[in-house]
Amino acid sequence: MAYKLAAWMRMPRVLVVIVGIVLLIVFPLINTSEYLQHLVIVALLYAVLACNWDLTLGYAGVFNWAHIAFFALGAYAAGILAKSFGVSPWLCILAGAAVAVVASVLVCLPVLRVKGLYVALVTFAFGELCLHIVVSFSQYTGGSQGLVLIPPITIGSYSFMQNQDLGYYYLAVALFLASTVFLALVIRSHFGLSIMALRDYEDYAISRGVPLARQRLLTFMLSAIFTGATGAVYGFYLGVVSPELFGFGYTATLISMVLLGGISTLYGSVLGAFVLTFVSEFLVSLGPWRYVIVSSIIVGVLLFYPEGVYPGLQKLFRRLRVHAQPKPEDTVKGT
Amino acid sequence: MTVQSLEAILLTGLVLGSLYALISTGLSMVWGTLRIFNFAYGSFMTVGAYVAWTIADKSALGAGIWLGVVIAIAVLIALGMLSERILIAPFIKRRDVALIAIITTLAASLFFENGAQILWGPRLKQLPAMVQGNVRFLGTMVDLQDVIVMISAPIVLGLVALFLYRTRLGRAIRAVEQNRDSALLAGVNVPLIYSLTFGFSAGLASVAGVILGITRFITPTMGDAPLLEAFIVVILGGLGSLGGTMVAAYIIALIEATCMTFLGLYWTPVVLFAIMILTLVFKPTGLFGKE
Amino acid sequence: MAPPLLEVKDLHVGYGEVQVLRGVSIDLQDKERIGLFGPNGHGKTTLLKTISGLLRPWKGEIRFAGKVISGKSPRELVEVGIIQVPQGNTLFPRMSVMENLLIGAYADRAWKKRRQGLERVFELFPRLAERKSQLCRTLSGGERQMLAMGVGLMGHGQVLMLDEPTLGLAPKIKDELREAIQQIAATGVPMILVEQDLEFLLALTDRLLLVQEGRIVLEKTHASSEIEHARILEMYFGGLDQAEPDLALGGKIT
Repeated sequence: MAYKLAAWMRMPRVLVVIVGIVLLIVFPLINTSEYLQHLVIVALLYAVLACNWDLTLGYAGVFNWAHIAFFALGAYAAGILAKSFGVSPWLCILAGAAVAVVASVLVCLPVLRVKGLYVALVTFAFGELCLHIVVSFSQYTGGSQGLVLIPPITIGSYSFMQNQDLGYYYLAVALFLASTVFLALVIRSHFGLSIMALRDYEDYAISRGVPLARQRLLTFMLSAIFTGATGAVYGFYLGVVSPELFGFGYTATLISMVLLGGISTLYGSVLGAFVLTFVSEFLVSLGPWRYVIVSSIIVGVLLFYPEGVYPGLQKLFRRLRVHAQPKPEDTVKGT
Repeated sequence: MTVQSLEAILLTGLVLGSLYALISTGLSMVWGTLRIFNFAYGSFMTVGAYVAWTIADKSALGAGIWLGVVIAIAVLIALGMLSERILIAPFIKRRDVALIAIITTLAASLFFENGAQILWGPRLKQLPAMVQGNVRFLGTMVDLQDVIVMISAPIVLGLVALFLYRTRLGRAIRAVEQNRDSALLAGVNVPLIYSLTFGFSAGLASVAGVILGITRFITPTMGDAPLLEAFIVVILGGLGSLGGTMVAAYIIALIEATCMTFLGLYWTPVVLFAIMILTLVFKPTGLFGKE
Repeated sequence: MAPPLLEVKDLHVGYGEVQVLRGVSIDLQDKERIGLFGPNGHGKTTLLKTISGLLRPWKGEIRFAGKVISGKSPRELVEVGIIQVPQGNTLFPRMSVMENLLIGAYADRAWKKRRQGLERVFELFPRLAERKSQLCRTLSGGERQMLAMGVGLMGHGQVLMLDEPTLGLAPKIKDELREAIQQIAATGVPMILVEQDLEFLLALTDRLLLVQEGRIVLEKTHASSEIEHARILEMYFGGLDQAEPDLALGGKIT
């Protein structure tokens, strides 16, 4: 009886996912606002970023301040290769992912076994270091002005900019779906369980033979793959990459996406990304007030909804079902 | 290498070291006592500078720099205590409080920096110097203001040490840093100590901010670079050692002065960051750390 | 009969989801000294921690001089006069002997009497007087225990709770410390003493309580005569036989 109930509980979520995917696919055909489509593209890319960040933050329990650096490095790598060396955009995207993975290894090696706080500090330093190197090699990177005039992605003679960035839109959707499926598989795998065990019961997990260093390194690397690729696409789409990506502002915005949605909930991060992209857009015109509001949201969420909005919604739905049926067991945290 | 440049490096090192010592002590206190890293520390410096400007500058209240410093310290102590209540205290009992504190203090730094921009505008400002004139020192002419900076660290930090080692409250702060549970059992009001320490460190930050506002410029993001420098110093110096922080400040300052002369503007930060990362990897407790 | 100075009624406490104390009730009269003994991990330290405010009770009540004190913070309890000298690492390693003692007198009530307190501590432990400015972490194990007790004494408490003060010390130091505890007891301060050494407890306390599986399973008021000692030891072992055959004096590792 409980089994059937649990199955029934999952039904609406699968339904929502299917409806969501269908909506995403038909969206450009029914939408007339270029601006709205732009926002959706950006939201999708940020969602990939947020979800992958959640892998190290929510599931592995370490604050990887360099995560955005992976994104930015992917963007810069792809942009430089495309602009200064004329490499094909598709190879650039792969290069972006590769560069991000290499960076993740470099940043993770010093902190393989240290406590969470030191991971945050080292990754912070690494991020700043990247910023500095990027600004210093201004010949290739455009220095503090950033990299501009990145050529668009093309397949043959078809440029993705045509048909109001239609190509970019579907690329973003594809990336988003691929990344989400990838992350879901990772989380539900044996590997995913092991890193959650390390997060919650570190000493016990280690004593049972879970290799902390190896799992941490793998988590970093896995989280970097789609992040770097998305960075590359972001660079191609906007045509520019700026060093601002390394700054506090972007970090705060991304972190609030993860927080708002709920740490260690995959769909939560997606929700957070969409909500915050739209909210943030509306706030751009407010200048400095934008970050005042975003930072207040961050602190507010942590104070009042420490689990994030998405688990709050889950609880709400569960309560609605209580009227009809007895309450099923809570799902395992992290799915 | 001429004698001239050696003197210049030494001089820069002394002035800069004093500045770094002032900047880093507050950060070190919070790390030692509350075991968290305060990413809003730079923004405390910024707000301190702006408050002092409002009091001191002729286009504002025009009451002079010295009153400006005093008021800035008072305001920042209050602001620091309030911040601790909101950003740290609700999470202090959690195992991952350090992680949460990173996020909340990051948010706070954005809040303060952008708030400062709203209140005071984005244009550069500067604080009036405390003294004018120059004096002969180590064979070169030095700004009296720089001399003040040089001696201010030992003076201020000396006062801090006096407070920590000779007063009941100061001893309580050290006790909480060394053994929180025992301090509780001795009747120390630990939550209050946390709040006071945070506020105190904000006060120190404001002094650093004022000095930066005099010797450099005041902008909403003026605290970003000093924050990084303070991080490097505190990590090199080590957890729980104010003396260690001070020594590390001068070491970093001398290294920076030397690198600037020989490696130039772009490579110096790389060296400093490399030092930070190497310290974290090989000796996470720092040169003089206690744990 | 006067109302008890300290009353613990039906206390249920645990850590996280693990329950340790299952309905403990204890009385402490003024000028009385009670001893707690029993296997490790069965709740003696947990009981002390709850009385001193480090832990919150799940159920039950604690009263001091008639007033409810359960659920109050450690700081408030120190002001009330409940002082605990806990087991293990309890001192401030980078502070001197003198500074440690001064922290012990942090509460307002105790701060006013700190000079007296220092005199008393140095009288009881002359070795500490010799090492006034020495850093705590350079002291030997026995000296550190003395200091821990001194810090507790500086609190000028109405009730003194000592958790295994002689644990892990060499026999000679144990004796020194025990003599000091005797002297402290002679001043009439009510005490709760947790110890593994039954003989010591019998010599020093008026009443013995055996804590097992989070409950008081044995309570014996005794006179310190040889016959009584033997009977109580037998009863302890006998009590163990009845309950858990594999428990031995010195504790079972749980």
